[in-house]
Amino acid sequence: MTQGDGSCEHSDMASQRIFKILSAAVGDGTSARLGQLALPGRKLVETPNFTSVASRGAVPHLTPDNVTRHTDLSSTYMALEDFIEKPNAAIYEIEGEGEDSRPLHAFTAFPKEIPTILAARRCPAVTAPSGNTSKLLAIFTSTGFRSISIAEYAEAARKLKPDVVVGPADLLHSSQAPAAKKQLRMTERTEDWLDQFLGLLKAGTRTDSNVSESCIFAPLIPVEWKIQWAYLRHLAEEVLDDVSGLAVYDVNLMPELSAFKFGHLPKLSLDPPRNPQGILRQVSLGIDICLVPFVNNVSDAGVALTFSFPAPKIATGIQPLGTNMWSLEHQTSLAPLVESCTCYACQKHHRAFVNHLLNAKEMLGWTLLQIHNHHVLTEFFKGIREALAQGPEEFEALAQEFATVYDSEIPAGTGERPRARGYHFKSEHHQEKYNPRTWQDLNSNSNSGAEGTEKPHEVARPDGQPPA
Amino acid sequence: MASNVYTSPALTFELLARCSTTRARASNLILPHGPVQLPMFMPVATQASLKGLTPEQLEETNCQLCLNNTYHLGLKPGQEVLDTIGGAHKLQGWNRNILTDSGGFQMVSLLKLATITEEGVRFLSPHDGSPMLLTPEHSMSLQNSIGSDIMMQLDDVLVTTSPDHARMRLAMERSVRWLDRCIAAHKNPDRQNLFCIIQGGLDLEMRRECCREMVARDTPGIAIGGLSGGEAKEEFCEVVEACTALLPDLKPRYVMGIGFPEDLVVSVALGADMFDCVWPTRTARFGAAITRHGVYNMRNAKYAKDFGVIEEGCGCKCCRPKSEGGLGVTRAFIHHNASKETVSAHLLTIHNVWYQLNLMREVRESILADRFPEYIKEFFGNLYADPKDYPSWAVEALRRVNVDLTA
Repeated sequence: MTQGDGSCEHSDMASQRIFKILSAAVGDGTSARLGQLALPGRKLVETPNFTSVASRGAVPHLTPDNVTRHTDLSSTYMALEDFIEKPNAAIYEIEGEGEDSRPLHAFTAFPKEIPTILAARRCPAVTAPSGNTSKLLAIFTSTGFRSISIAEYAEAARKLKPDVVVGPADLLHSSQAPAAKKQLRMTERTEDWLDQFLGLLKAGTRTDSNVSESCIFAPLIPVEWKIQWAYLRHLAEEVLDDVSGLAVYDVNLMPELSAFKFGHLPKLSLDPPRNPQGILRQVSLGIDICLVPFVNNVSDAGVALTFSFPAPKIATGIQPLGTNMWSLEHQTSLAPLVESCTCYACQKHHRAFVNHLLNAKEMLGWTLLQIHNHHVLTEFFKGIREALAQGPEEFEALAQEFATVYDSEIPAGTGERPRARGYHFKSEHHQEKYNPRTWQDLNSNSNSGAEGTEKPHEVARPDGQPPA
Repeated sequence: MASNVYTSPALTFELLARCSTTRARASNLILPHGPVQLPMFMPVATQASLKGLTPEQLEETNCQLCLNNTYHLGLKPGQEVLDTIGGAHKLQGWNRNILTDSGGFQMVSLLKLATITEEGVRFLSPHDGSPMLLTPEHSMSLQNSIGSDIMMQLDDVLVTTSPDHARMRLAMERSVRWLDRCIAAHKNPDRQNLFCIIQGGLDLEMRRECCREMVARDTPGIAIGGLSGGEAKEEFCEVVEACTALLPDLKPRYVMGIGFPEDLVVSVALGADMFDCVWPTRTARFGAAITRHGVYNMRNAKYAKDFGVIEEGCGCKCCRPKSEGGLGVTRAFIHHNASKETVSAHLLTIHNVWYQLNLMREVRESILADRFPEYIKEFFGNLYADPKDYPSWAVEALRRVNVDLTA
């Protein structure tokens, strides 16, 4: 079996048009490597890199002009479920304008140079109580749960023309450890769905269009590799020519992929890392593009990320990964969020302003934090690529050092987050409140007890009897 | 000195043109943070931020002057913080002009239980319920800390519709006395302008009396206050008309709290120069787009598949063609995210602020070209398909300044 980047053998394959490996420690693509993802009409994506996560077609709090001016996003992940409350959704009817305009871009007014990655569901997705069926994929729109067929998903991809589309995956969101039988069914379904999806997209290719078709990334689902071995072999031997990359829902599968000819494929992780250490681990396992949803969460929590790669050479204890901008200590600080940071928020504004905006619940606070936090991630990946250019050993050494220098938890913000909407989550039994209650019953100060404000029926009766 | 220029230590006012039909004027105002062109609408950045826009995005709407609220900044981040930071310009990264209100209006609008005495406004802190007192001296001190280019005096604000004539007179006279206290307490007259506020409710005689008293105190600019509180539009127009008749030509005239496009155009015709209102930005957050054909509720289902721009021909960042640096934002996308993602609110805020500022720019150009009456007719013609729908208060007010909308 030929391994390696296979630049000659696979020259006619879909992937060769878009992904170039610049370096690799071992040729099987299961260790850290440098690459370039070139999607038609978009800027070149240097890998390893991260993809930002959009909500309903917008990177939260960032208008398209702010994305263009103040970020350097490599790509953006969008979920089809964010657009299709109804089967005849508006987004299906928009026409792209110009020679290389794609409807998904046109509908979201997303900056032209940034490629989009479309999947059926948000990541992480809200659990669908009924789950998928053999023919239907359960999704959660802003108006509730519904199901779409694989044909509808394929048709959506064909119409919207994202730069990258992730094939349909039968993911279990309700159980972390499904039974082996269930895992097998997930694998078989995903294989069926992918074949159907590839067939439909191929058949639907319009030759008259100037716009190139979407690149398809095949999903690797979080199922033990032994159980999905048949699917992996199917991918490697039967449909490899039709896929341009892999979307990995469980990065623990990565080491097992060395047994297959996937080395040349770009690998997108849809297994959200918890922290930068998690990102480093994914890169180390051979992931080329990481989906990093924690950036949006961190900004909403009012936290400014502070880490960099390589970790600074200081010996003063464990470094925090971020700063809680709600903290009173920033109230009068004219310092940038991070010293020497070159992002717009740090260059133009200061901690005191961000602290004030959070306190005043002004939306600009989240905008500035989003700009800063995305910038920190962009620089973090730049650092990773620079280290990899020095060689894989250098990267691994620096990654280990990073783990010793930084804390493993991103600090929590102590204030209120922006209002959560229905499509963000589905409330579940005993779920904690997203934000503390702001309104309280005027007469419910019962805990203080000092004024005897207990509920009337609990007040002791004049006859000395205990309350009823 | 030229006869059309007024200068005071922190302000230069130059009257450029007068409409030959109405009382409208076009002028230039030079303030400590740069020139502004009148007539002008001023968007409201209540808490040192224009509702999600970066200062650069606000600059791109051509905004030269925005409002901050003294009351809000006094609570958050507080005077001590403002002093340490060095004022509101530095706090919010805004290098153009800022106007601050005195905090008086918020006392009335936000707090149910404010007691107004000769000393000042007494209220309970919304933070900890502790008693607080806002005096003219304290308001000046706060606005000095904010460092606004235009400060407003603390006034005794009463709803215009109040039937209590004696209380109204007390409020008017007290506002004059408070102006004296504000002038005495103002620490930076060399770099901050203090404007007086004319009170007197809907009683035109009382308004005139207040005008005479206030004008005698020679502040660099004059505001007409207490309006926009639920009075009939006819009465609003009468008050503006009565006041502008008595105000000096060479000072800017600011009608507080006015923002509907019709109100702006009519008020300019009645001789006013400056306006502010939270409505354009607030309504944007509710999903409403202001256009020359009226206000569109973008949440309406009919916009779900409308792939046109918010307003055809508009020059804002959202609407102008992509070839001219526009964003390519469609009504469908605004609809898709209205009240779902903050980005929709930001985009509509950009559009609405642009609309208001551009309206005033067009008004100004028409005054300079002495074709303001024609502009007024075009404006109402665009807004209402049928002249029968023209609001009677506007027709009547404009008739009194020699413009017949029905002709």
